[in-house]
Amino acid sequence: MAGCSQTALEPTVYSMLALGPDLEKNYQRAVQCLLDCQNPNGSWPSFIGDDPEGAWTTALALIALANHRGEARSRCRGFRWLLQSAGKESSWLWRWKFRTADRHVRFDSDKFGWPWQPDTNSWVVPTAFAILALRRPPRSSALEQSEFRLRRGTEMLLDRVCPGGGWNAGNGIVYGRALVPHPDDTAVALLALKDHPHEPAVKTSLAWLADNTSTMSAPWSLAWSALALAAHSRCVRRLLSSLADHVRPIDIRDNATLAVLALALDCERSLTLLTS
Amino acid sequence: MGITRRELLVGGAAVAAGVSVSAPFFQPRYRINRRPRRSRVALLRLEDYSRPIDEMLFLGLCLFPINVQGKTVLLKPNLVDYIPGHAINTHHRLVVAAAEAFRRLGARKVLVGEGAGHQRDTQLLLSESGYEQELALDSIPFVDLNRDELLHRPLGASYTGLNHLWLPRTILGSDFIVSMPKVKTHHWSGVTLSMKNMFGVVPGQKYGWPKNILHWRGIHESILDVCATVPIHFVIADGVMAMEGDGPLNGSPRPLGTVVLADDPVAADATCARLMGLEPDRIPHIQEAARFLGNSLPALIDQGGEVLRRPEVPFQVVPEFQHIRAL
Repeated sequence: MAGCSQTALEPTVYSMLALGPDLEKNYQRAVQCLLDCQNPNGSWPSFIGDDPEGAWTTALALIALANHRGEARSRCRGFRWLLQSAGKESSWLWRWKFRTADRHVRFDSDKFGWPWQPDTNSWVVPTAFAILALRRPPRSSALEQSEFRLRRGTEMLLDRVCPGGGWNAGNGIVYGRALVPHPDDTAVALLALKDHPHEPAVKTSLAWLADNTSTMSAPWSLAWSALALAAHSRCVRRLLSSLADHVRPIDIRDNATLAVLALALDCERSLTLLTS
Repeated sequence: MGITRRELLVGGAAVAAGVSVSAPFFQPRYRINRRPRRSRVALLRLEDYSRPIDEMLFLGLCLFPINVQGKTVLLKPNLVDYIPGHAINTHHRLVVAAAEAFRRLGARKVLVGEGAGHQRDTQLLLSESGYEQELALDSIPFVDLNRDELLHRPLGASYTGLNHLWLPRTILGSDFIVSMPKVKTHHWSGVTLSMKNMFGVVPGQKYGWPKNILHWRGIHESILDVCATVPIHFVIADGVMAMEGDGPLNGSPRPLGTVVLADDPVAADATCARLMGLEPDRIPHIQEAARFLGNSLPALIDQGGEVLRRPEVPFQVVPEFQHIRAL
C-alpha cells in the first residue's frame, strides 16, 4: 500500500519492470533489495521480514531479475527452488485422495502447478507466474530440467479453465457448479499461455476477456487485461486510451496497481520483459 | 507376591511415558479465555435493505453497554466475490449504517477493512458490490487487508499447529473490531458467520488468494486459532437476505429479515445457527469456541429485540452437513 513502510515483493517487481533500467538509481536499488532479501533456500519472501520458507513471489523475482543478466547465481538458486516447489496435490497420496474420496472439486490432480506458499494446492496465478519465470532460465541447461514442470503447469491451467472460458482463482467447477471467471486471473493465465493460441480454452478465454473489458472500470483488471490481449495480438488501442483517459493515477492507492497500469500503458515493452 | 525393584522401575517408566504422550490430548488447546459469564444478543427485524436502517441499528446498539468513545472502530464485512443475483456479501447499506451508528456513539475513527478470499482486484469487488460509491459518499475509509503492512503475532490457540500468523497492522491497531458476516451456509464448514468471517483478516499477500493454508490446516481449527488471536468485540450479522445450500458463493438467497447484534461472537453464531434451523452444537468450531471464546447455550444468553423463531424448514445444506440441520 502507498504509505506503508513495509517492502512487499509484488509491487516491487512490477515497479522494477515498469521503471526499467533507464531510471538507474531506483532500478539498482530495487535489484539490490531483491538480492538482499533472497532466502537461504533460494526462494523469495512475499515481503521483507517474512518467514524464510519461500513464497509464490519467487517467480516474480526471477522474472524481474531475468532482465538483469549479472545475477546468474542468485537466479540459479531461485530457479532450483521453483523447480522443486509444487502444489500439494502432486504427491501420490493426495492424488489418490482427490481421485477417490474428495470429488467435490473437479480437477485432474495429475496436472499440477505451483502454490501460493509451500504445503498447499496449485492455484492459477502462482502457476502462471512460475511458467513465465521458468521460460527464462539462468542457464540454457536449466531449460531441459524445467520442461516437465512447464508442460505440467500448462496442462494444469488448461484443466482448470471455467466452462465458458476464463479462470477463477483455482478450479473452474466446485460442487458441480461452474465458477465465475476473474478478469485479472484470466489475464495472467493468458500471458502464461501466450505460446498456445490454438488451444480452445485459450480462444474462449480471450473472447470472454475481450467481452468483459468493455464494462470494467477497475484499473488493476483493465491493465492486466490489456497486457494479455496485446500478448495474443488483439488490438488494445481503445482499451489503452480508456485507461489513460479515465484512470487517474492519483486515485490509485496501492503501488502494485499503479505499476501494472504503467506496464499496460507501455505494453509492447512490458510484454518483452514479462513473456519473451 | 511382591513387586521387585526392577518391575517397579519399569512400571513407573511406562506410566511416565504414557502420561507424557497422552497429556497434550487433555490439555486445553487455547491460551486465552474470553468467555463472559453471560452474553447479550439482540434480533432486529429488517425486511429488506430499502427500509430505513440507520436509526434502527443505532437504537439496537444502544441496547448494549458499548463504549467506543475516542476509539478506532474497524468494521469487518464479509466481502468475498461478486456474482450478480447471489447474496454473497454483507450489504453495503448495513455497513454504512453501522459506521454512522458508531460515529454517533463517539468513535474517534470508523473504518472498513477486508481481505477478500478469492478476488485479487479489491477495487473491482468494491465497485461491483456497491461499496465504493457508498463508502465514498459517507467518507468512510476502506483498508485492503490483503495488502496492508504485516506484523508477526503468536496464536492465542494451537488447533492448527501454526505457531503464528502475520496479521495486518490495521487490525492489530484497532481498538474495537466488529465482525459483520453475511448469514450463509458453507460447503466446507457448515456455516459462515461472525467467526468464519475473520478469515478475511488473514492477508492474501502472505497466504494467497484463497488463504489455502487455512483449508489444509483444517477450517474449524483455523477459525478457532484466528479468533483466539484477533478478538471480535461486537457482531452485526446480516441475516436480511441470507444464503442456503452451496454457500458461500453458489447457494440460493433465503430471506430471513433479521439483523443479529451480539457482544459475543459465539453467542452470535449460535443464535444465527438457530435462526437458520441448524444445531450450533453440531458445528465443530462453534461447539469448541464455546469453551473459551463465548457462550452458545441459550441459558447463558440474554436475548433482546425480536423473539428467536426457528424456521419450519431448516436452511438447505450440502449433503455432508445434513446432520447439522435441526429436524
